[in-house]
Amino acid sequence: MSLIHRGLTLSFKVEENHLEQVNELLEAFNRQQPSKESLPDTFFISWLGVPPQVYAEKEKLPARILLMSSYVGSKRKHLQVLVEAIGEELRQVLAFTVGFPKEQITNKSLVRFLAKSSKFNTYYSGFKFISPKEVIPEKNLREWVYGWVEKQLQDPNFGTSTPQEIKDRIENAVEKDPNYNWAMKKPKGLGRSKWAMLSALGLFGLLMVLSLFIALVSIWWNLGSWVLLAWLFPFFIVSIFLLLVLLRKEENIEPPPIQVINDKDYLEIVSREKNKVVNEMTVIAPLKPGKFRRVFLAVSLRLVAMIRYFTYIPTVHTARWLQLDGGKRLVFIATFDNQSEAYAHDFVDSEQRSRNLAVIFSHVMGFPKTTWLIKRGENYRKDYMKGVRSFQFKTRFWYAFNTDLSVENLKNNRAFRLGLHKKMKEHEIRRWLLRL
Amino acid sequence: MAIETIIHGSDLELHDMQGILIRGYGALPEAKYLLLGFEDRKLAKSYLKDMHLLITNGLVKPKDQAMNFALTASGIKTLGINEEDFSTFLREFKEGMTEPHRQFVLGDKGEFSAGNWDWGQPGGEKVDLLLMVFAKDHELMEKILDREKERMERFGVKLLHSLPTALLQDHKEHFGFRDDISQPRIKELAKTYQEGDFPAGEFFLGYRDLYDEYPLSPSVAEQEDSMDLLPISYENKQRKDLGKNGSYLVFRQMQQDVVAFWEYMKTKTISEEEAILLASKMVGRWPDGSPLTLCPDGPNMDLSQENDFNFWKEDKLGLKCPIGAHIRRTNPRDHLVTETNAKDSKEMAGKHRMLRKGRPYGKPLEADIDPLKMMMKADDGEERGLHFICLVTDIRRQFEFVQNSWVNFHKFGGLDQDADPIIGNHYQEGNLKTDEFSVPQFPVRKKYEKLPNFTKVRGGAYFFVPGMRAMKFLSKALE
Ligand code: HEM
Repeated sequence: MSLIHRGLTLSFKVEENHLEQVNELLEAFNRQQPSKESLPDTFFISWLGVPPQVYAEKEKLPARILLMSSYVGSKRKHLQVLVEAIGEELRQVLAFTVGFPKEQITNKSLVRFLAKSSKFNTYYSGFKFISPKEVIPEKNLREWVYGWVEKQLQDPNFGTSTPQEIKDRIENAVEKDPNYNWAMKKPKGLGRSKWAMLSALGLFGLLMVLSLFIALVSIWWNLGSWVLLAWLFPFFIVSIFLLLVLLRKEENIEPPPIQVINDKDYLEIVSREKNKVVNEMTVIAPLKPGKFRRVFLAVSLRLVAMIRYFTYIPTVHTARWLQLDGGKRLVFIATFDNQSEAYAHDFVDSEQRSRNLAVIFSHVMGFPKTTWLIKRGENYRKDYMKGVRSFQFKTRFWYAFNTDLSVENLKNNRAFRLGLHKKMKEHEIRRWLLRL
Repeated sequence: MAIETIIHGSDLELHDMQGILIRGYGALPEAKYLLLGFEDRKLAKSYLKDMHLLITNGLVKPKDQAMNFALTASGIKTLGINEEDFSTFLREFKEGMTEPHRQFVLGDKGEFSAGNWDWGQPGGEKVDLLLMVFAKDHELMEKILDREKERMERFGVKLLHSLPTALLQDHKEHFGFRDDISQPRIKELAKTYQEGDFPAGEFFLGYRDLYDEYPLSPSVAEQEDSMDLLPISYENKQRKDLGKNGSYLVFRQMQQDVVAFWEYMKTKTISEEEAILLASKMVGRWPDGSPLTLCPDGPNMDLSQENDFNFWKEDKLGLKCPIGAHIRRTNPRDHLVTETNAKDSKEMAGKHRMLRKGRPYGKPLEADIDPLKMMMKADDGEERGLHFICLVTDIRRQFEFVQNSWVNFHKFGGLDQDADPIIGNHYQEGNLKTDEFSVPQFPVRKKYEKLPNFTKVRGGAYFFVPGMRAMKFLSKALE
């Protein structure tokens, strides 16, 4: 079974005059959340209607309904789960969209319809390879072991045992308890999922290395049509360089002014973050004018997707970026610990992270100007914060499997569980015990 | 007035700053915070005009008395600022500390809720101005207060609350711990440069901050400054900078329940020594001020003012100073659990510092604030606590961030249900708990449960401390 976290993004066109009704409907659904049992593979669902926006002062980008879910496993299965769990809600909302069949459709056809509306997205998860059904058992396991150790501490000899002895006894206790002995086995599919996640990057790397190798070998040997492969690496490098130069030209185009968010709207939007641990935000903005920007962003998003195994954004549960409407609009959603005002700081407070994010956000209206993609100018931080808020939309329906555990909690519970199988040195065991 | 001129800070316009930005007036042990309400615009402006020569600027180091002031959003409005100019103040300042979302961010609910405050509460008397008076002794303080009361009467200004202060022995706060040790060093004020010094713009408006930007500063339309009192705004050359050499001031009156504090330590431990150790784990320093990170096994007087330490290398796991300790939460230095290295942690943590200026109030439970004696004392019915005051240029990024993400967020540092043990709002609500404190140790962390609220907020507000020119502007222009 695949444990890779994925993002599903479904996008539907909707008539602007139906948008209010759609959003009201979604808010009504939000008040009657689906049960967690009905969505066993799903971590989050963000669902909202987005009004039309204007690209480059002339082109109207259509109103849309976006449904964005975070799930684990296969996409086909996830679509089925969604249709089973919120099929009725989907039908009611999609009835407003352009192209949805007027007649009653079966679950199967609905799955097919949804699959056709799915868009590529670059997805990030902060707690990779944990499935929803493992979250609560792993939390309970850690709490149970903590309680068990506390009980053992009443015996003064226990505290004087060596770390290895304590670990052995914990493993013994877990093994013996029918409620927790599942934890003595590694999560199924963990190794395979890691490899699968790295496969695109691996393939890309391999092709590049092969290209270089062939280029080198072809100096001495005639490799026939294989030699075409030798062009791959230089082609990639030159294309990126060319795109960068073309982008540089477009960076000089002054984007049209934006309507900066006023205090009242700002307060209204941040006041929606009422959860004590996990909250969400949705930002959707047209790109700044320039066709190479669109291409550059599309390429960047694909490259970022490839390296997602290695990316790290603190306190973020999940995030995604995608382009819509011929690449003229960027959608960004995130679920994170605590509040967006704190979370946005995690981006701009770090020099390196704010530079990395400029690779994506510098193309978007409302975000501060950069040169050569990442070179930021005066007032970057202030303008970045304004940009985020000015294009933030209310997520009308938000489902979250977990609203009580932080990213660090999730990772810690997982690390404790995995430690049950690991051989460790004494200092590692001491650290592992501190996870309890 | 006996004064001594200071020599550093030549890059700062000290003469245009109020002294509270530069110093805490530690040599003036008597202090009173007066909360005033304006009744009439004209009179309020005259009151301010009359005060020009009484306000101590940043250039002098007074030896006998000092006076500074700050305004709330309503105070600024009463002085006649128009909507457009008012909109240039920070959103948090305009909304005020008791706006429902601000209360949510600050964790002011239940026992902390603004509805229970003695002043600054929603629907309560409108606080417009905070007058901070400092004197070398009681007699002089009384004299100044008489003068101020007379001035208030003359200009129809209402004295709403007079908040006393009382410095405690050895710079301690009421729980018995040395306070006021760690402060961010300001580059422009330091004699020698040290790595980690902060640019003045983190705390004073009109100077560059850590992002190498000018902090958002309130401004007025150029034509309103017909007397040409104010400098040009950095944001917009057509406007004048009302914030330059000023700052935002956060005030929280925090009552301390000293008896409950030591009672809790006693009931959770088996000896007085252990009780002090537990309390020190909660603070992150021993009562004498020495940091647990440097002397985990016992206090060391030689280190009582020591502030040169970090956590990443010295104590990443919190075995010496718990990750949830007050000083580690309010300034995680070079170790944030969510970061992958010390450099990034330092960079992030540095963006959330504040200049603390507060003073304790109320009679100590024991005159010498000795924890051993305080542990034995029954409640004397006296009210005591800390007037927490800090200066920042970005209320949200600095004070509110610390209060929200570090002090009250029960998941801070990978913890489960631990708010700040000293100042956090401790409660249980369904399966949400914020009232635990974890002490990492072998073989497993020790978990202390059901922490009561050792502190409670009794009042508070956001203020703006104008520079001297801005003060003139506010009193003379906008008629
Ligand atoms: C009654 C309330 C409070 C008490 C009793 C208290 C006590 C203390 C003590 C004993 C110290 C150690 C001394 C030092 O390092 O300077 C300290 C440090 C500190 N406190 Fe508090 N405090 C209180 C409220 C607050 C509040 C409301 C904040 C801000 C939200 C705060 C922020 C800080 C900071 C930033 C430090 C310095 C930490 C460092 O740099 O190591 N304190 N406090």
